[in-house]
Amino acid sequence: MLEWWRRHVAAEDILLACGGSEADFRAMEHSQKIFVNDPRLRTRDHQREFQSYTAIFRAASAWLRDRPYECVHFCEYDQLPLAADFNERQMARLDAERADLLGYRMLRVDGTSHPHYLYHASNPRFCEFWKSISRRTDPSVVMSMFGTGSVWKREAFDAVAAITEPFPIYVEIYLPTLAHHLGFRVRPLPDQDRFVDNLGDLEGTIEEARRAGAWVVHPVKGMWNA
Amino acid sequence: MKKIKQFVREAGFAIFRALGNTIVDAETGVRLGRAFLLPWKGTIKVIGLGVPVRPVFLPQTRLTYWKQDLGFTTHAAPDFPRCEKNP
Repeated sequence: MLEWWRRHVAAEDILLACGGSEADFRAMEHSQKIFVNDPRLRTRDHQREFQSYTAIFRAASAWLRDRPYECVHFCEYDQLPLAADFNERQMARLDAERADLLGYRMLRVDGTSHPHYLYHASNPRFCEFWKSISRRTDPSVVMSMFGTGSVWKREAFDAVAAITEPFPIYVEIYLPTLAHHLGFRVRPLPDQDRFVDNLGDLEGTIEEARRAGAWVVHPVKGMWNA
Repeated sequence: MKKIKQFVREAGFAIFRALGNTIVDAETGVRLGRAFLLPWKGTIKVIGLGVPVRPVFLPQTRLTYWKQDLGFTTHAAPDFPRCEKNP
């Protein structure tokens, strides 16, 4: 996996966050790595158990302190970069959109039939939380994006990482909604959404996706199996 | 087992969609998909629609009292500016 990534990004710019066992962490041959021991990372039913990436964001933000990175590309292990200059493209898109966060399948979902929104809306604390922290005139706005990968301006990443999750909120709702209510501009990647899915395995379509202009592809689960 | 469950789920949705209606965005006219709408104990079950929608009552060019039309629409893509200060 690291070999693939090192073809696209300098090794020193890759931070590995390991949520598995400590033995796995020690075996990782990469100097920039952090171990994240959070049971909310290791959920089985991610949506019903409110899987969270807060611990990863917090650990990564701490590691980034005193390091002059301007952007952060957060990525799950089964999301694969395809374009050699995918980071440059992502940063150019951040600038073009004047965005602080770019997410795949980014949607506004408040008041809609979106199951994740409806599940959270049944908790009275959910709306109260956004009202209590929002810098926006409308605190009822709720966003959703795929958790698989996202591109952040450093300020937004650190600001989101600094907030303590008040009660379990599913990562795909929590991250973009929090970024929005902290005052950051969140935007979708509509031309790239078709290469990022939540089900199946797109390993067999890698070359086709690359030819079609994909920056990344997800999910590619079997590629790193020995 | 997971694949069998997934297959049964998808087959069930296909049946519901076949029996259901085409849902069109009431504001843009864009086709959103098909869904089966089932009135049930004061609510309406919306089954099989893969796109998050919100209900809207449609404006009427002719004033009528006996019926109103309930449609569906979607939010526009998020496009809020950065907000530096509290409102």
